[in-house]
Amino acid sequence: MSTDGLVLDGVSRRVGGRFLLRRLNLRVGAGECLALLGPSGCGKSTTLRLVAGLDPVSEGRILLGERDITGLPAGRRQVAMVFQSYALYPHLSVEGNLALGLRVRGVEAAERQRRIAAVLELLQLQELRERRPAELSGGQRQRVALARALLRQPRLVLLDEPMSNLDAQLREELRPELRRLLVGAEQPVLYVTHDQQEALGMADRIAVMEQGRLQQVGTPRQLYDDPANRFVAEFIGRPAINLLAADEPRQVVGVRPEHVRPEPAGALPARVERREWWGHQQLVWLETPRGRMRMLTPGDASLRESLHIGWSPERELRFAADSGERIP
Amino acid sequence: MRILLLLWSLGPMLWQLHTSLQPPESLVTPAGAPESAGWTLANYRLILSADPPFWRYLLNSTVVGAATTVLTLAIAVPCAYALQRRRGIVGMAATLLLLAAALFPTVLLFLALLELARGMGFANHLLALGLPYAALCLPLAVLLLRAAFADLPPELEDAARLEGLNLAQRLRHVLMPLIAPPLASTAILVFLFSWNEYPIALTWISRNDLLTLPTAMARIAGSSVYTVPYGALAAATVVGSVPLLLLMLVFQRRIVAGLTQGAIKG
Repeated sequence: MSTDGLVLDGVSRRVGGRFLLRRLNLRVGAGECLALLGPSGCGKSTTLRLVAGLDPVSEGRILLGERDITGLPAGRRQVAMVFQSYALYPHLSVEGNLALGLRVRGVEAAERQRRIAAVLELLQLQELRERRPAELSGGQRQRVALARALLRQPRLVLLDEPMSNLDAQLREELRPELRRLLVGAEQPVLYVTHDQQEALGMADRIAVMEQGRLQQVGTPRQLYDDPANRFVAEFIGRPAINLLAADEPRQVVGVRPEHVRPEPAGALPARVERREWWGHQQLVWLETPRGRMRMLTPGDASLRESLHIGWSPERELRFAADSGERIP
Repeated sequence: MRILLLLWSLGPMLWQLHTSLQPPESLVTPAGAPESAGWTLANYRLILSADPPFWRYLLNSTVVGAATTVLTLAIAVPCAYALQRRRGIVGMAATLLLLAAALFPTVLLFLALLELARGMGFANHLLALGLPYAALCLPLAVLLLRAAFADLPPELEDAARLEGLNLAQRLRHVLMPLIAPPLASTAILVFLFSWNEYPIALTWISRNDLLTLPTAMARIAGSSVYTVPYGALAAATVVGSVPLLLLMLVFQRRIVAGLTQGAIKG
């Protein structure tokens, strides 16, 4: 992996004796998009604020392109951030929003104009340059926030739930757009989200976090096929994985709903409790002797009310019942 | 109902206006005697041609008011910002102290203030009057502005920090423009206080040409032992209120906006 990237080396954040983030080690390569994924309060936004320099690091180091930036003030890190609320200056026009940072940093007027024009064109915002943020739609505001981030020519881009204020359809439309604009250039991208679909769609790799701890880092595929623990297994994959009592003591078996299938008689008997029909697929809730389970089958599959189900043994994921750690 | 309220609050002012336009004799002629003919500007001529002319007091009050407002805001804005940033015990304690100061009965301060004025040579200096005025206004101003800062989304300042704006630049380019309405209403409240303040002005200022409006008006009222010059007093009141009225009309909307903004999230 290239050394141009971002490295977090044992980074902790403690407030009043409580760890918001505990010894995080993470590496984001140049041109790579890493998603920080987890439920709210898991430490993902804390991580972002530490990297941005908005909050102080309690322990550990942050390196950007082999330079230690741990103690550097936010304004000197060459880091751009898109906020969940976009944080556009309400009293300034689109152009004013873009110009302020450049003006303060003493970029000359001609150069300023050139850079703003370029980024306005890139994001197709030329017609909106006179508008105030209040006069823009959610998607437009996000584009302006993005423009402001790109204008800095940052060495690292941070995105804090940039899509959560948009409706579902717009979110899906914007995902490839966001990737085209941000990822693939030299700078690493750190993307915070609680939406696994967004993480799967945007990121090259995903870091799953919970309670201030990193649970697992890997490609979406690795997290799905080979989760390190029960939390990751439950968090990645929708509908969520079935967890069943195992034959062995102190173990839990996980089977994903898409791996459960109807079997000839002799397998696990089950009774259909409820169905959700999604068109191409249907989700079936089942009552079985081993507990309630969910099964994802093709939408056109016809199922009897009583049936037998099964799954191939290599699809089973085993976890320790107490620690939740994966048992190979 | 509305008309009743309007009459309730406007009635005395209109009566004052009416009185100010009456010739001096008509007020003391017994009721039932024939009304003297029509309105007159005699009272206004009287106070404007006095020595010093009445507009002099207007000017004095304006100077004191402006100085007080500028001084108060110059101190209150940084204080309010710091207080809003500083959470936890220290911030709480400071806020409580401010509240206590805001509620402190100022009457108890006059003697001490007078001693101060004498000792430091502040007596009969118009601008020096701004010092106690600003001190008295500061607690309320800081609390109002703190609420205004608290209303701003913190991400705005974070964004500005990331863009490399230092504290002064953030205040100037981002925060102050956004709190303009509460800033304006605070400024007006401070100006009003200074405009109406009587006891401190009375004790600090004795030179005739340096009096502020309230003290000047009191002098008119007490200028003769035997009569009260109602007409002149009324005229002085009208002249003294007109600038305030204009100020209020111009900024009315901002005052209301600013006051309610602070009120919602205090």
